[in-house]
Amino acid sequence: MTTVRKDTYRWSARGFIAPGVLLVAVLLYLPLLWTTYLSFTEYNGLGDPDWVGFSNYIDMWRDPAMVGSVLNTLMWVVGTLLIPVGLGLLLAVLTFDLKGGVWLRLPFLIPYAVSGIGVGLVWSFVLQSNGALDQALAVFGVTDPPRWLLDVPLNTLVMICAAAWQGVGVNALLFTIGLQSIPKEPLEAARLDGAGPLRLFGSIMWPMLAPLTTVVVGLSIVGSLKTFDIVMGMTKGGPGRQSETLAVTMYRDAFVNANYGSGSAIAVFLMIVTLLASLLYLRRQLSAKHEF
Amino acid sequence: MVSRIIRTIVLAIAGIVWLAPVYLLIVNAAKAPSAYNPRESWVPDGGALLENFAEAIRLSGLGDSVVSTLIYATVAPGVAVIVGASAGFAIVALRLKHGFWWFVFLFGGSIFPLQMIILPLFDGYSRTGLYDERIGMILIYTAISVPFSAFVMRNFFTGVSYNTFEAAVIDGANTWRIFTRMYLPMSASALVAIFILQATFIWNDLLLGLTLSQSDEVRPIVTTLAGMQNTYGGAQLPTVLAAGIIVSLPTVILFLFTQRFFARGLALGQY
Repeated sequence: MTTVRKDTYRWSARGFIAPGVLLVAVLLYLPLLWTTYLSFTEYNGLGDPDWVGFSNYIDMWRDPAMVGSVLNTLMWVVGTLLIPVGLGLLLAVLTFDLKGGVWLRLPFLIPYAVSGIGVGLVWSFVLQSNGALDQALAVFGVTDPPRWLLDVPLNTLVMICAAAWQGVGVNALLFTIGLQSIPKEPLEAARLDGAGPLRLFGSIMWPMLAPLTTVVVGLSIVGSLKTFDIVMGMTKGGPGRQSETLAVTMYRDAFVNANYGSGSAIAVFLMIVTLLASLLYLRRQLSAKHEF
Repeated sequence: MVSRIIRTIVLAIAGIVWLAPVYLLIVNAAKAPSAYNPRESWVPDGGALLENFAEAIRLSGLGDSVVSTLIYATVAPGVAVIVGASAGFAIVALRLKHGFWWFVFLFGGSIFPLQMIILPLFDGYSRTGLYDERIGMILIYTAISVPFSAFVMRNFFTGVSYNTFEAAVIDGANTWRIFTRMYLPMSASALVAIFILQATFIWNDLLLGLTLSQSDEVRPIVTTLAGMQNTYGGAQLPTVLAAGIIVSLPTVILFLFTQRFFARGLALGQY
């Protein structure tokens, strides 16, 4: 009976999955393969790509701008783990079981819905020379403020702070939902036994948050590897190419300099790193769902 | 008790500090460009906000961009949720052969960075006449929304009892009818959640807009804003900031009303 039924729906099932498979295959996977192919060629968009083997990958590392870009991207990964994820956890724990916690979290949530370009626009305004921040500092007697967006590595650090401004709220929201799913009894019991807040956090909240933390950390790493719009909005990778991230370097190589081959090589490198980082949290998700 | 009061006060102050850039954005977007003094960022002055909105729209073709972006951010996720639901339906209810692997294939589309696909898209779009066309933008925005949609809908349908499907079959309904009359209506909340999440991502997209479009009529709004920021500065700054508000307001409002959906969607492993 069941096998007959399975066969009955075989064609119908294919019909229902076909639109999704077609869209994804043609617009995502096909370009993906083409980029991989292009990364082994020299190509400026005119004529045909010339096969050059691994030379794009080798040349990539001879370019000092590329090395700087990798280091900046690394700074983004570490920075967005420490600041938005760390502060998000702190905010969630501090507002947890607090009356009006929802309202106290609200100011931190607003920037999340602002686009990267919007965040970049606001912060370039705040950080420009003699801008809002410098004016505020002048009130406190700081007459010679740093050149926020012009000096390396300060410019990358302040952009990470701008990204943190955007990201803290949503991380706090995710951690709050995690905290709310922790059963109340062990917390109450530990409290009655005289456990202090730090003890409560270390022995109960933190271990129970572990699965969610994996997801948040994974999302944060994967997201920061692709950092593009905040940098484009604030420094465009400058001055020179000193604050570029891998995503910006790829864009510049491919679309500004029309080096499709080397742009593709950077994209492939970025993809491999992203996939490795994704494994951190995808492995858990996919293995738990393997039920067919 | 004391610790709670201290916590509340500390958080309230931190919240105010957090909103300072928003305050600066609004106050300076409301200054008349002629009276704008970059040395007085913190001082509110004047109510030229509406004039600046109008000027921003006039100056940049922002009006055309708003219309395009509205189309992208509603049509693409609208199609994507149906396509994703239909894939989930095929895998879970119709028990598609090798369904799990088809699911992995679909979901895999969301794992790699967009940088991996923009070059061939640009190239392919130029050759097929899709470059700088609204239909081209809708196509790619739909495609990037499908993996997440299929992911959520498959999970959702897994929670629906198979008896529901069998009962409908016994009543003589065909699969199309079962999908459109039963599975789609019962998953309304999940569909809305995916829709909102994807609409916001599309609204805020810069990279695809930057690489696949050029003219004011096709360019998404965020890309137009990025262009304005490069073109106009100095005295026009209040206008550019006003444009920033126009671009940001819809997603901020949508987000604040639908936080729960977002949190759930993000926790499910988006990007």
